[in-house]
Amino acid sequence: MSSTQSFDVCVIGAGPGGYVAAIRAAQLGKKTCVIEREYLGGVCLNVGCIPSKAMISAAHFLEKLRNDAPEMGIEIKTDGKSTAKPVDINVNMKKLVTWKQSVSERMASGVAQLLKGNGVTVIRGEAEFSSANELKVRTSGDGKSDIITVTAKNFVVATGSRPIEIPGFTIDEQKVLSSTGALALDEVPKRMVVIGGGYIGLEIGSYLRKLGSEVVVLEAGATLLNGVADRECVQVVERKLKKGGVQVMFNAKAKSYKKNGSQYEIEYESVGKIEKIKCDKILLTVGRRPNSDQTGLKKIGVLIDERGFIKVDAQRRTNLKHIFAIGDIAGQPMLAHKASHEGVLVAEVISGINRAYDVKTVPAVVFTDPEIASAGLLESECTSRGYTELMISKFPFAANGRAVSLMETDGFIKIIADKKTHVVLGVHMVGPEVSNLISEAALAIEMGARVEDLAFTIHPHPTLGEVMMEAAEATLGHAIHVIQKPLSRAETANGATVTRT
Amino acid sequence: MATKEVKLPDIGEGVTEGEIVKWLVKAGDSVKADQPIAEVMTDKATVEVPSPVAGIVKELKAKEGDVVPIETTLLVLDAAAGGAVEKPVAATGGGVTKSKGFAVEKPAPAVAMAASPAQSSSIEIYPPAADSRVLATPATRRLAREMGVDVNVISGTGLAGRVTRDDVVKNKGGAGAVAAGAPSWAPVAPRMANSSTQPNAEERVPLRGIRRKIAEQMQMTKHIVPHFTIMDEANVSELVRLREQAKAAAEKSGAKITYLPFVMKALISTLREFPMFNASIDDQAGEIVYKKYYNIGFAADTPNGLLVPVIKHADQKTVLEISREIVELANKARDGKIGLEDMKGATITITNIGSVGGSYATPIINHPEVAIIGMYKIDWKPVYKTTEKIGEFVPTQVMNFSATCDHRLIDGAVAANFLKAFLRRIENIGQLVLDMM
Repeated sequence: MSSTQSFDVCVIGAGPGGYVAAIRAAQLGKKTCVIEREYLGGVCLNVGCIPSKAMISAAHFLEKLRNDAPEMGIEIKTDGKSTAKPVDINVNMKKLVTWKQSVSERMASGVAQLLKGNGVTVIRGEAEFSSANELKVRTSGDGKSDIITVTAKNFVVATGSRPIEIPGFTIDEQKVLSSTGALALDEVPKRMVVIGGGYIGLEIGSYLRKLGSEVVVLEAGATLLNGVADRECVQVVERKLKKGGVQVMFNAKAKSYKKNGSQYEIEYESVGKIEKIKCDKILLTVGRRPNSDQTGLKKIGVLIDERGFIKVDAQRRTNLKHIFAIGDIAGQPMLAHKASHEGVLVAEVISGINRAYDVKTVPAVVFTDPEIASAGLLESECTSRGYTELMISKFPFAANGRAVSLMETDGFIKIIADKKTHVVLGVHMVGPEVSNLISEAALAIEMGARVEDLAFTIHPHPTLGEVMMEAAEATLGHAIHVIQKPLSRAETANGATVTRT
Repeated sequence: MATKEVKLPDIGEGVTEGEIVKWLVKAGDSVKADQPIAEVMTDKATVEVPSPVAGIVKELKAKEGDVVPIETTLLVLDAAAGGAVEKPVAATGGGVTKSKGFAVEKPAPAVAMAASPAQSSSIEIYPPAADSRVLATPATRRLAREMGVDVNVISGTGLAGRVTRDDVVKNKGGAGAVAAGAPSWAPVAPRMANSSTQPNAEERVPLRGIRRKIAEQMQMTKHIVPHFTIMDEANVSELVRLREQAKAAAEKSGAKITYLPFVMKALISTLREFPMFNASIDDQAGEIVYKKYYNIGFAADTPNGLLVPVIKHADQKTVLEISREIVELANKARDGKIGLEDMKGATITITNIGSVGGSYATPIINHPEVAIIGMYKIDWKPVYKTTEKIGEFVPTQVMNFSATCDHRLIDGAVAANFLKAFLRRIENIGQLVLDMM
């Protein structure tokens, strides 16, 4: 049986871009459907952001229990006996994975309810454009396959991205895992090799190490988190990884692997030499590529650039006026919150409201230990954009009472501002809970705040947020809780622009 | 091949933006290092922007007529690896050729964004997305979009140049909103209705280049400066004789002597006596700026419109030197080769409309100067001989002069005294020579 359904708006992909677009379109009175081939909530809710955060929370909790609890005087009793150093804490991986799964399911069922409550039709299946105005959807509900036809006045392509593979390594989720397979592991591999020192590899590698794996990271380049994070922030994480026992090999290019007894042996090239390393599982996290080769996009003439991103304008419109693209498939940065912002944007544009993508910053967070977060420009970006004179300062978490009481004093907040106007250009953080602190920086940048605006806002004590205020004070040369060179009155007066020598 | 973004460079001190007058290349073109890629007009000069590297033009990021801030990406180059790449990406497949053609037909609007999505540029988005350098809160940016106001062209009145809610509201429906590029001081003008229903009865031409700059400058000056003009006639018999002698003397060295350098010298001496004519008002600081240097601008009529070249430190130059410089600058202005540096920093301006005709005019001051001197045609007139009994006429060569002043700084009586002192030097060569430097 085949049928045709018609909509005002058809969203392809129910990830953090697509489901948000669908809900907003429905709120604005459009007859809307969303087509999803796998999970409501997409990679993010099911096999990405959310479940990895669950695993990271558990691993962090375990580590606190192991390392910090004894120092705090918390002793865990086993069989009525007290142990001063409870190293024998058992991790029930099956239970942990079940709990992690419940977190994802709870979020995904929330999405289902929201879509339903807003009157969005959910079609489960694989969509492909048969023409610029029509989709064929191979539905997969109830165990039987069917083809339905969907027509719509506007389409929103939100089909996301998938992991990149490299020659010699094909993801099978058994031997070679993507993030999806790694998150589903119900036992801790004895030894795990992570290929690629980007944020996904480091997040998963770090928690697996805490749960008991030996972890080796093979990074093809000379640095971790290359190009996405402030170098000084990355150094703090590198030190902590080393301290925690994660081995990082730089300039190491993985070539191939083969079975060797009960293990796998990876060959990699390092500075012209071929080296070998054994492991039980391989995690391949060398990046993600947009799914623009699917859904029949090329066939209907949607323009795609050389990196595989759909070409879009500031309203996220493709070269076909009635087709929009958002999220990972529409360009960097491939981040869920950017996709959601674009989802709202396109739903409003489709509804005839004048909108354009004009944000000043897409903040980014990396859930390493400690976390890294940033908003605005890196120092090098400031220079390349012609800001010749910068004010840069750092304030350490080690001088913050709340961080000390959490026993998490690694890291700092760095603020970069334009020396001429004192306008905040970039904020880079590494340290405890910085993922939750970065929003203040993003707001400051969007509002065009000057460092004085941050410095003269009372931040409650004792909180980690005080570090932001102190870092702002430090750019002005007069932070309280670090020793700075005394300034003349002219220099300190209301943050007046005075060139320091 | 690495891509390279070619940005609008910092063209000169004080220049913050430029208008793309003409593209000299198009997508797909191969360019050499230092090859001009676009004509960009800043203030009153048109400059050619060179490409810093060799490569193939991938995409033009602005349209002709766009006003873009410095450091804005103008175009994207595929930087030629190792220098000469003769064969560009063309002819490798339908997809590439298609996207090239696309870029040629409809260059992407000049928008800078925090993220960097590939541009498709299928529909003109107005207002363009706010540039990442614009200081306006997210709510203000949205208000501007909903009101059809381009925040990129408003000069914000807030701290550090912030565009405020008020700035946006004031620009609603104004020239700043409708025609991109009109500045924030532009008053709200009614939109012109179609005046003729006949086909081809009207022709519409974009207000571009020097014409647009003149329009903006004149409108701003009239908006800010309360003008008044005082006029008088001078007996220039002695000046005519002086100039004739000087002309004959200078001919040997091939220089052409006009009246203008003598008038400049008379003016400079008078300015020393009346320093408020060689001044500016700094509105921001609420201060009067008296200038201790004498840079004299002179109006030059060019095929593209009015330009004002400047004789710098005219007080330190001889009449011969000034004459040569006038000829040189006027030629450059006419040929469109004059640089911005040659038109900056005037402290007062002379307009010699008399060389064309007309007995009097009321010129507009070249803001932020506070006065403009007009000189008109020389005529023979019968003038009563003042020392003899009335009734006897003497044929006399006379010339009209006007002084148009900024009444915020200069009062009528002061202007009358200034003009009197100035004409005393014009009429009496002895007086002129006395304090000439």
